[in-house]
Amino acid sequence: MTTAAPNYELLQQEGLETSLLEISMGPHHPSTHGVFRMDVKLDGETVVELRPVFGYLHRNHEKLAENMTYLSSMPFTDRLDYFNSMTNNWAYALAAEKLIEVEVPERAEYLRVIMAELTRLVNHVTLVGFFVNDLGALGTPLMYAFREREKILDLFEQASGARMMCNYFRFGGLRNDVPEGWLDRTRELVDRFPAFLDEYEQLLCENEIILSRTQGVGNLSRELAVNAGITGPMLRASGVNYDLRKVDAYGIYDRFKFRVPYTDGDTGDCYDRFMIRMLEMRESVAILKQALADIPEGDIIGKVSKVFKPKPAEAYGRIEGPKGELGFYLIADGTTKPYRYRVRPPSLINLTVLRDMCLGGKIADACIILGSIDIVLGEVDR
Amino acid sequence: MSILGGGIFKGMAVTLRNFVGSYFSKERFITTNEYSWRPESELPQSIGDYPKEEGEQLSDTTTVNHYSRNFPMLLHDTGEPMDTIRCVACQICERECPPQCIYIEKSTEKKENADGKPQFYPAKFDIDVSVCMSCQICVEVCPFDAIVMNSQFELSTPDRFGGLLVRRDDLLKSNDYYHKIHPQEAATRDERMAADKAAKEAKKKAAAEKAKAAAEAKAAAAEAANESKEDTE
Amino acid sequence: MSLELIKDILLATVPLLVIFPSLFAFTTWMERKALARIQNRIGPNKIGIPCTRIGLFGLGQPAADGIKMIFKEDIVPRGADKLFHLLAPILALIPAMLILCFLPLEFPWGKFMSGQVQAFLLDSAVIFFFAISGLATLAIFMAGWASRNKYSLLGGMRAVAQMVSYEIPLVLSAVVVVMMAGSLNAKEIADVQTGFNWFVLTPWGLAAFIVFFVAALAETNRSPFDLPEAESEIIAGYFTEYSGFKFALFFLGEYIAMFAISGLAVTLFLGAGDGPFLAVAPWLSVVWFIAKIFGLIAVMIWLRGTLPRLRVDQLMAFAWKFLLPLSIFNILLAGMSHHVTVAYPGTTAQVVTWTVSLVGMYVMAKGLDKISRSTAKPREYLYAE
Repeated sequence: MTTAAPNYELLQQEGLETSLLEISMGPHHPSTHGVFRMDVKLDGETVVELRPVFGYLHRNHEKLAENMTYLSSMPFTDRLDYFNSMTNNWAYALAAEKLIEVEVPERAEYLRVIMAELTRLVNHVTLVGFFVNDLGALGTPLMYAFREREKILDLFEQASGARMMCNYFRFGGLRNDVPEGWLDRTRELVDRFPAFLDEYEQLLCENEIILSRTQGVGNLSRELAVNAGITGPMLRASGVNYDLRKVDAYGIYDRFKFRVPYTDGDTGDCYDRFMIRMLEMRESVAILKQALADIPEGDIIGKVSKVFKPKPAEAYGRIEGPKGELGFYLIADGTTKPYRYRVRPPSLINLTVLRDMCLGGKIADACIILGSIDIVLGEVDR
Repeated sequence: MSILGGGIFKGMAVTLRNFVGSYFSKERFITTNEYSWRPESELPQSIGDYPKEEGEQLSDTTTVNHYSRNFPMLLHDTGEPMDTIRCVACQICERECPPQCIYIEKSTEKKENADGKPQFYPAKFDIDVSVCMSCQICVEVCPFDAIVMNSQFELSTPDRFGGLLVRRDDLLKSNDYYHKIHPQEAATRDERMAADKAAKEAKKKAAAEKAKAAAEAKAAAAEAANESKEDTE
Repeated sequence: MSLELIKDILLATVPLLVIFPSLFAFTTWMERKALARIQNRIGPNKIGIPCTRIGLFGLGQPAADGIKMIFKEDIVPRGADKLFHLLAPILALIPAMLILCFLPLEFPWGKFMSGQVQAFLLDSAVIFFFAISGLATLAIFMAGWASRNKYSLLGGMRAVAQMVSYEIPLVLSAVVVVMMAGSLNAKEIADVQTGFNWFVLTPWGLAAFIVFFVAALAETNRSPFDLPEAESEIIAGYFTEYSGFKFALFFLGEYIAMFAISGLAVTLFLGAGDGPFLAVAPWLSVVWFIAKIFGLIAVMIWLRGTLPRLRVDQLMAFAWKFLLPLSIFNILLAGMSHHVTVAYPGTTAQVVTWTVSLVGMYVMAKGLDKISRSTAKPREYLYAE
């Protein structure tokens, strides 16, 4: 429960000396999801001050990309949010395709949607697993999640050659066509996935401990969410119906029938964020079913040379990544390398409200709030 | 009105079902490829080599993988590796490699390649395993189909510096080996190369005919050459 | 001290010191295996007979773990209080071992004893049990304090708050049994229950057993009450700074405490060594006893594989606002139903007391749940086309 912290100055004046416990949680802490640090001040178990510290995983991604050709930075985008390499690839490809104006073949568009929605399943299913792990479950939901994730990663490996660092998208299409039988295997997986979701929901969604741990914890109001630039499931959990798949309808998303779950914005707490992701998975399955039914035969990549010189221009490509709006901003100066390359990382921008959500809560709440934001440090620090 | 503790009991029913189910259904297991124990000489060279052993959770799907990639290798055609090496040390891969893990030194004099054409060759061609990130950008930018991805993953070595820098002679693999590990990809690549070669020869032929034959015949031949070239691209 | 007495003491204590630590090894294996199966893994399956490829379902794993623990470097933080850092794991183990003596385990060699030295024959065995098990709290706080680590300190503070709070419902639910059996002597409590007159088969006994079991989970820091060692929040709590053999001692102490408290639950509610075929083979009582302990431990493992943990304030609220009123109410119910059945013997009275007690307990529990956890419920969500 969020309660106002006592006034420490007042306490000191009254002669009741008290001091706060300062803890530097991280960078090596089990629930900071990587190398992230939270400098917290505790009053007993209550968080009275929290300062996020990050940058431990900085790899100079943007500057590196400005010093290599457009194609060469594609594999580096895999490593931004290493859970969702496919969607990272897509956002970068979208931006570069705006620069060189290339037509993407129909089959490639369908495969892109299939890959992106599979990625969304991977991300959400593992996020829920990690989230419940942060709540203190002994890895059981996480193991179930990883089993399903592994099946999808197997599909990625068959298509692209790598499980996580797929490097599969190319400007104007995809690197190669999917192997024979891949679509059938994907259909089988997609058909089975709802049964897994049912079991998962039965395990988690009504559990009294999860309900009382997550409800009313880490409230994020609609106003703060909009002002802070929060996107993705977190924004929808705060009661804003905003999904780039509907707003931009990039790729061929306007062809599919799917719904966007969101809340009425009363609470916007960890439970909402958790449930919105559970519900989004069902919609992803719906999109996948339609895409797999309609996918045509044909070319996989348009005519693009490996090294190209776009005309001087600016381009911003954005997609609804599993974590939020992932954008790539490119400025071309007529050479083979971008003049400026900038990533809009949803993880980092969603992380900015961490302090506002954690203050007044318990230290255990801070851990699950961080878990519910869904960050990947590769993307936060870049 | 819900039962007191109903959600907890529901969850416990799920875990009990999984506990019992794990003894009966293999589908519930995480698909893990387990290293099976065997002497060093019989160590498998690629995922496909792993046989199924009793109790081993090897999924069928991971064994069939046409695009599996781990580390680049240099291709040579049938014959003595250095005589038939395809690489001409053009250094495009070195330039394009995102983590900059390729080091090439061009030879000073030319040598005949598989087609009997004098070409430069790499006097030195090293790839650093510890830096390479298996992205296969080098494969994509290579205009000579000289570098492709190997799926071998037993790359660990007790030698930290020299051992992790793979030299040219260790990188050289025959086209037959490539056919063995990536049959589909190798076949399409060979097809395309053959078509390229045919187109080139046709062009050459056309050029030779140009000197002799009439102007009409010349034009027709050139058109045919162009057409066949376009088909292949 | 006469030789006879020494013989008796050895006969009474050595089996406990041998059986339970070896059962501990088996339990760690069982727990890992069961959790693995719950999570759809195989669990330890490689280590069996050394130098062969015989796996024996990984039964050699505890031995291998033990060897590893012994040979691991023992790291003491520079700022730690070295003496207390060393004493804490030992002090954690001693009370756990000591309370094993109060379990009415009647070994077949008991008849070779000249005098009666078993601790469970003590007239106040149950009181002693709670008194000594309370000492574990001290050891845990000692570990948390001596480590000079903020996570350890938080863990130690959590442990003290939790164990002190949960001791009250634990004792109050045991009071019912003491009331009914009319004795604090563990042996007499066990004797009252022979012939399947287990206290758990009475309405108040069932309720008390559930309260006791939940409080026992908290007392032994088991999931979902494993806050003192909550790894996602405070690393490993009070034993963050322990490694090697000291860590193993904590681990051992925790499991022995689990055996002890399960053993007490078995004694108080599940008829101690009572079971079928005792007339044929009296030595079976030890087997039944240990089998019942393992039954309870299996439930603990099952819970651990399923549930996330509570938050610290919810944990306290659960003890003080839910378990405590419930166990007090249960004492009331127990007294009433006892007098009703004494005054009106017969099936009708039995049925009435059962129904009234169970409904009363459920309504009480539901009401308390509503008060302490009022808003949490599943929600409905909107969809945009």
